[in-house]
Amino acid sequence: MSLLVLKNVKKIYHQGVINVPALKGVELIVEKGEFTTVFGPSGSGKTTLLNVIGCLDKPTEGEIYFTGDNIADLDKRYLAEIRRKNIGFVFQSYNLIPVLTAYENVEFAIKILKNISSREIKKRVFKMLELVGLQGLENRKPNELSGGQKQRVAIARSLVKKPKLVLADEPTANLDSKTGEDVLKIMLEMNEELKTTFLFSTHDPLVMDYAQRKIELKDGQITRDERREELDVFN
Amino acid sequence: MFLIKLSLKNLMRHKRRTMITAAIIAWAIFFYITFDSFLLGMNDLVFQNIIDYEYGHVQVANSSYWENKDELPLKNLMFNNEEINKKLTEIRNYKAHAPQINFQLRLSDGINETPVMGKGISPQETLNVLNYEDYIVEGRIFQAGERKAVIGKRLADIMKLELHDYVTLLTRTKSETFNTIDAEIGGIINTPNPTINQNIVLLPLDVVQDTLSVDNMVTHFIVRLDDQNFAPQIVEEFNNELQGMDRNLSVYSWRNLDEVSITQAKQSGNNFILFIVLTIAAIGIINIVILAALERMEEIGMMKAMGLKEREIILSFVLESTGIGVLGGIFGCILGAISVYFFSLYGLDFAAFVDIDMSTFGVPLISKIYGTWNPDAFINMFLFAVFGSMLASILPARWAAKKDPVQAIYKR
Repeated sequence: MSLLVLKNVKKIYHQGVINVPALKGVELIVEKGEFTTVFGPSGSGKTTLLNVIGCLDKPTEGEIYFTGDNIADLDKRYLAEIRRKNIGFVFQSYNLIPVLTAYENVEFAIKILKNISSREIKKRVFKMLELVGLQGLENRKPNELSGGQKQRVAIARSLVKKPKLVLADEPTANLDSKTGEDVLKIMLEMNEELKTTFLFSTHDPLVMDYAQRKIELKDGQITRDERREELDVFN
Repeated sequence: MFLIKLSLKNLMRHKRRTMITAAIIAWAIFFYITFDSFLLGMNDLVFQNIIDYEYGHVQVANSSYWENKDELPLKNLMFNNEEINKKLTEIRNYKAHAPQINFQLRLSDGINETPVMGKGISPQETLNVLNYEDYIVEGRIFQAGERKAVIGKRLADIMKLELHDYVTLLTRTKSETFNTIDAEIGGIINTPNPTINQNIVLLPLDVVQDTLSVDNMVTHFIVRLDDQNFAPQIVEEFNNELQGMDRNLSVYSWRNLDEVSITQAKQSGNNFILFIVLTIAAIGIINIVILAALERMEEIGMMKAMGLKEREIILSFVLESTGIGVLGGIFGCILGAISVYFFSLYGLDFAAFVDIDMSTFGVPLISKIYGTWNPDAFINMFLFAVFGSMLASILPARWAAKKDPVQAIYKR
C-alpha cells in the first residue's frame, strides 16, 4: 500500500471576489521510504501542496489517502491527531521555540505523544541530536546556534517521534549553499537510516540533485515526475 | 508537565513586561490589603469608642422607645426600680450596669446657644460601665443631686466655656412644657470619642428626672460585660427572660448600632476600589497575552503543525498568565504584610492631619488608628489575583489558538 495517494486534488483560495487556483487537479502517489522533492518557480503551488498533504490545509476538491485512509474531509481535531503521530515538519525559518534549548525543542515533539516513558524520550532525543551532529550542543538555545545547526535541530525535532512522513518546505532557503548541502545530506542519511519518507520543496537546482524523485510543479499542476535509482551525492 | 515548563520559560521571555504586569497586580493587592487593614482597624476603634464612651456592651430599653431613639423621645420610658436592677445583674458575663436618660437640650451661655444631647447619668454606676474617669481633664464628675454639668472639651472651646462657668440648659418636659436647668460647669471631659466631646452634656440623673418630670423613669440601661464577644448571645438569651418580666423591654447588642452598618457600607466601597484596580490588572493581562500571541504567531503555527490541540495551546497561555497572577499575588501579599505590620505597630495618627475631624465623616474617633491583621484578605486577594489572571487570559488565548496554522506559520 502506498503511503500517500492524491487524486484530482484542487485548492482554490478566495481573495475577496477573486478565486485563485493554487492546485489544479494534482494526481500523485508517494511510496514509503521515498526521498522526493517538489520543485518549481515561486507561486507554482509547492507550499500549498505540502500544506494539504501535511493536514495543515484542506483541499477544495479531491481525495488524499494517507496510509490508506481518506483524510481530505476529516475534522481539524483528527487532522491534528494525524500530524501529532505521523507527520514531521521542517520549515524554512526553523520555527524553534527560542526559550527552549536544542534538547527541549526536540523533546517537545515527543513529549506531546502519550505513553512514552521519560527514559525512552531522553534516549531518543539524545540519539536524534547525535544523528544530526549536534552532540554537545544540547543545552544551547536557538540564538546560540548557527542557521545550519538550527535547521538540524528542526530536522531532529521532526524525526524524533518516528513519523511516517517528513515534509520540509524549502529547508535550505535560509542557508548558504555549503550549509544547505550539509542539511540535505543529513536528511538523506535519516531517510537511509530510519527509512522515513521525505517530501521537500525547493526551487534550488543544486538541492534537487539530492532527490531520488523530482516532481515539477507549474501553475498548480505536475508537469514532470522523474525517478532515479542510484544516488552518488555522498561521493 | 511540559506545557508548565514552557509557560514558566515564556514568563521570563520578556522579563520587564512580566514584571510590570505582576507589579500592577501586586500594587492592587497591596492597596486592598492596606486599605482593608485600615478599615478594620478603624472599625475596631470606632466600636471600642462607642462601647467605652457611649453604649456599653448591651442596652436594655422599651422596644418602642428604641425604634425612635434618635429623636430623643420621652415616651415609652422604663422604670429604674429594684426589680430591673436585680434582673440586670443576672445577665451572664455581667460586669456593671447604669441607668440613663437621653434627652433634647439647648445649651446657652447667655449669648450663644447650641443644640446638644443631654445625658442624665447616675455618676458612680456610669463610671463602672463607661470610661469617663480617665478623660476628665478639668474638674471632676458630679455627685447625685448636684446642679453641675460635665461637658466635652470641644464643646467648651466652641462655646468658650470654662470650669465653674454657669450655663442655662433649656429642655422640654415629658408633658412638652419648657423647663431649664441652671448648672455650673463642674468638669470638662476629652475622650477619644468626638461625639462625647462635642455634642453631649452630662448631668446627674436625679436632677434630670426632676426637670423632665419623669419620676423614677429612664430611657434605657447600659450594661458592661466581662467579654464583649458574648453580647450577641446575651441578646438572644436574655430577651426572653426580660420579656417574661415586661414584654415591652428588649436587649440590644452594640452590634445593632447604626455605626456597624456604616462600616459595612465602607467595606462595599473598598470592594468597589478593588474591582476598579483589578479591572486594570485584567486589562494588563489581556494586553500581555495578545502581545505574546502576536509575537509568537509562527511558534503557534509550528505547535499546531506538530499536532498540539487548541486546548493545549490555550492552556500554555493560560498557565503563563496564571504565573503572572501568582507572581503578582506573592509580591502583593508580601508588600501588604509589610504595610500592615508597620501600620499595626505604629498606627496612623489623625492628629497629624491638621483640622481633620473624622466625626465629620460619621466616624466617631479622634485617636490613632492601628491596622488590623485580616488573614482572609491575604488569602482572598491571592486567589483573586491567580484566578483573575487565569480568567482574563482565556479569551485572548482562545483567539490565538484558533489561528489557522498555515496563516500562523507564514504570518499571513
